Amino acid sequence: MTQPEKKLTEKESLDLIAMMINKAKDSYHDTGIGAMMWGTVVAICSLVKLAELHFDFRLPFDIYWLTILAIVPQIFITIREKKERKVKTYDDIYMDYLWLAFGISIFLMIFITNSIFRVWEPVAIEYSQLAGHSSGFSFREFIAPLFLLLYGIPTFVTGTACKFKPMVLGGLLCWICCIITIYTTIKIDLLLTAFSAVFAWLIPGIIMERDYRNAKKGLAAANV
Amino acid sequence: MFKDLDPILHSQLRLAVMSLLISVKEAEFTFIKEKTNSTAGNLSVQIQKLKDAGYIDVIKQFRDNYPLTVCKITKDGVRAFEEYVGNLQSYLGKG
Repeated sequence: MTQPEKKLTEKESLDLIAMMINKAKDSYHDTGIGAMMWGTVVAICSLVKLAELHFDFRLPFDIYWLTILAIVPQIFITIREKKERKVKTYDDIYMDYLWLAFGISIFLMIFITNSIFRVWEPVAIEYSQLAGHSSGFSFREFIAPLFLLLYGIPTFVTGTACKFKPMVLGGLLCWICCIITIYTTIKIDLLLTAFSAVFAWLIPGIIMERDYRNAKKGLAAANV
Repeated sequence: MFKDLDPILHSQLRLAVMSLLISVKEAEFTFIKEKTNSTAGNLSVQIQKLKDAGYIDVIKQFRDNYPLTVCKITKDGVRAFEEYVGNLQSYLGKG
């Protein structure tokens, strides 16, 4: 059965439009699970690598394979989040493409740095054999700044677009650490990478997850 | 001279639906119902009127064996909404 239509004044109409547009804006809350997972994975990888260097041991596998494995749960998280979304905003679509572009860039950066390393390593060995001392340039020392530079981009853009301060600060922190790691040793680089991952993704992810749960609780209470 | 306000849009629930849809790419029926605090029956009727006017597209599909209705605004809908807001502003400006 339909309710009788309420006639609106011009002022009421404009107020209603503004109210509904604001309601639509506040409609989406990220679950934060993806951010928490990636923050943890990158921090673990960096800290394990640091432990390998510091305590001089080697795991039977490269710990960074964990980042490849993490793609599997990420696919499930994305599918579940998309199913739970009752509304698709233009911001959501841009954010999805932004993080997809980030993922592709990370894998391209891994490919580029590995390719440079493969070319550079024999040159460095030959130089030290001929000169009797090492060249003093280690390409490994400059890998962390390149990745931190990339980490900062989607984090900062997401934070500013969603007006989510922890991610804005996280993105800025990645770029500050990017500059610092140019001048620090590989061990400090790894420590700062873990630190950036925790502050750019893990902590914002925890805050997002808490907000998401609160929003869900509020919605459930409103429907009672 | 004032233009007449579009009678399709100049109704509380239909205007609420259009204002929601103008800000998003698409929205499920349940989302619109929740945000407009309307009943399913009334909302269905108003959505059908907006669809008949060509202002929104209604896509009916299934998810996990349950029916799912998704609504999105059309180009004609965007044009009508913008014209409606322009007319409202001119009324208020001259009023």
